[in-house]
Amino acid sequence: MDFSLTEEQEMFRGHIRKMLDTFGGTQLAREMIDNNPQNLKKVYTTLAELGCSGINIPEEYGGMDLNALDLVPTFEEMGRSLVPGLFMETSALVVPTLKKYATEQQKQQYLPAIASGEKLVSFAALEPFNDFSPAGIQCTLVQQGGQYVLNGTKTLVPEAELADAFLLLVRTNQEDQEDGLSLVLIDKTEGMNIEKLSSFDESKHVAKIEFNHLVINEEQIIGEVDKGWMQLQEGLLYFNAALSSYIVGAMESVVHMATEYAKIREQFGQAIGRFQAIKHSIVNMKVHLEIARSLSHYANWVVDTDEFDRQAAVYSARTYATEKFIEVSAHNIQIHGGIGFTEEIDCHLFVKRARYYDQYLGSTPFYQEKVVSSLGW
Amino acid sequence: MDFSFTKKEEKFRTELRTWLEANLPEGWLEGKRDLPEDLDEYSRVLRAWQNKLYEGGWAAIAWPKEYGGRNATLMEEIIYHQEMVRVKAPPLINYIGIHMVGPTLIDIGTDEQKEKYLKKILTGEEIWCQGYSEPGAGSDLTGLKTRAVKDGDRWLINGQKVWTSFGHVADKCFLLTRTSTHPEKKHRGITVFMMDMHQPGVETVPIVQMDGHKDFNEVYMTDAVATDADIVGQVDSGWHVLIALMLHERTGIGAELFTLEKQFNDTVELAQQYKVNGKPLIENPVVRQKLANFYARVRGSLLNYYKNLTTTIKNGQPGAETSIDKLVVTELNQALSAFAVEIQGHQGVLFDKDAVADPKWQHVFLASFGQTIGGGTSEVQRNTIGERVLGLPKDMGR
Repeated sequence: MDFSLTEEQEMFRGHIRKMLDTFGGTQLAREMIDNNPQNLKKVYTTLAELGCSGINIPEEYGGMDLNALDLVPTFEEMGRSLVPGLFMETSALVVPTLKKYATEQQKQQYLPAIASGEKLVSFAALEPFNDFSPAGIQCTLVQQGGQYVLNGTKTLVPEAELADAFLLLVRTNQEDQEDGLSLVLIDKTEGMNIEKLSSFDESKHVAKIEFNHLVINEEQIIGEVDKGWMQLQEGLLYFNAALSSYIVGAMESVVHMATEYAKIREQFGQAIGRFQAIKHSIVNMKVHLEIARSLSHYANWVVDTDEFDRQAAVYSARTYATEKFIEVSAHNIQIHGGIGFTEEIDCHLFVKRARYYDQYLGSTPFYQEKVVSSLGW
Repeated sequence: MDFSFTKKEEKFRTELRTWLEANLPEGWLEGKRDLPEDLDEYSRVLRAWQNKLYEGGWAAIAWPKEYGGRNATLMEEIIYHQEMVRVKAPPLINYIGIHMVGPTLIDIGTDEQKEKYLKKILTGEEIWCQGYSEPGAGSDLTGLKTRAVKDGDRWLINGQKVWTSFGHVADKCFLLTRTSTHPEKKHRGITVFMMDMHQPGVETVPIVQMDGHKDFNEVYMTDAVATDADIVGQVDSGWHVLIALMLHERTGIGAELFTLEKQFNDTVELAQQYKVNGKPLIENPVVRQKLANFYARVRGSLLNYYKNLTTTIKNGQPGAETSIDKLVVTELNQALSAFAVEIQGHQGVLFDKDAVADPKWQHVFLASFGQTIGGGTSEVQRNTIGERVLGLPKDMGR
């Protein structure tokens, strides 16, 4: 038995950390608040040069043909610096979905471009005043002659302005809720009306997109028509495993911030880290981090196997990570005291992102139910 | 990353499993697992079980072969605990002897001490207890007041110990005493004696615990006698002995985690069988959310244990981060057993022979309060993690 990452994986982590540090770490997130993605774009280029964007893409499409576990150091390091953008959606949702369900032609069209870093794909599922469930998807894709016509509105689409393409979940059949949805992959075109929305996590951009009679080809439908919801679940397994890694990296940053601050901040003539009220609070954060890390490493290993607990492991890694990320980033503010409540210190960036991800593509109760039902209980 | 067992490890598992099935007390596997209430009878049955383990070569697998062990690897110890939990094996009455005293003597004991004690630890002929805590020395062990004073060629020991597990059945005590006073460095001046419990100067008084058990004792020493030959290590260097001893407690938390995992599965079964308003409880959304939450915590703790174990195997000894495992498993046990009692409704208060579920959750629930205190309280564990893992400063008192 060996439950650890390999030396190569850890070495790779070192390269990414060094690279992100040269861009100032969380500075990238702060630049997004100012609508300045220039450095973020450079980061993507560098990540592609390092091979990150092709890690889980087969060699014949220009990738390295490695596993989800090999992406873990990349995601943890990105989380550590709260790097915004579409790397996770592209590599951990779109790539696994394409590998499993796309036609050869679709793979040829997208995988090499993703591996080389030319294409970033965002994911558009949610619709205004609806939830993340089959009944909540009402954008219609209707066959007209040899073509399809897309109508409706998608909301909370991440970093739509940076996306080169979108994976969409749309309704192709009104007869059946779940077996009436399809996945569509479309390049960004002039015909999309993209409107940036205001979000309290300003470093993570979200947008509303209106589709008004957008004509698309049959070749843009991924997998089987009407089976989009089922197919999406497979992609979501990889995405949630990756998300748990990203969050582990972010939690690591938070615990580090709290620990280092408690060592130097003095009150009553001593470092506040001496006080057990502070010390034990940070220890609780550390314990949550280590449990989240263990769940997440296992989830990223098991997702590429056919073990019986494959789904439960991923869903439990996600719920634990999202829940505890909120908790530790909130404690971090409390430990920092007044300065933690300011915009100047990074504390708030983490608590906002924690809230964002807790509610992204299904809530904690949504995934808790999935844990239980995937075990047959 | 690799979660498989080697062929050699699988062979070890099969060998142990076969032996257990052939040698467990009659009817044990079928559910006849009640141990006698009477203390003498209880101790007789468990000594006999330990002797059987010894004869099969399964009493102290981690000990070197030359002392009657199997030189077991850490992974073999893990498998050993898994198999013992699987059959709910009877408790090891000489746990302290096998897992703490024996390995410490093998490490730093004299040849005479090894000769005199090791085999009797293995066979269960001599049961050991630990004389650590005192009324005034709990989390701060350095506050101990039991004194050992040289009197000619012997030592006279006076004082009181408390929370001494198995004190009433023990033949020997691994006893911490104060032999000199150093107000500034209180961990100095402590000496470990191996004291004979069967002597006029030693009296044990059982303490009834909140779960009805009487595992704990007060031990009173009035001019109890020991000799130089009974000292472990050197006079006044007991603190080092204590640290060496703790390093030998390698896989005890693993055993607790495997028990916890089994108890979680039992809880799920309970929720499947128990009905509320005619419907299985497990269909209740709140219960489902809580089960998902426990699943994450139990799996997370187990995986984190494997992560730390991997580090221990690579480094040759456990690091400070293993304190996290102790903290997590005991607090989780408390939460899980409370939940298992809670979902039984009013029947959850039924105790002992009238308890409705197996395992008897009421006992697990009550016993769980001791787990977050014994072997270092949760607060002490948090100090250790804060200071030794995170590098936070120690508080002024220490």
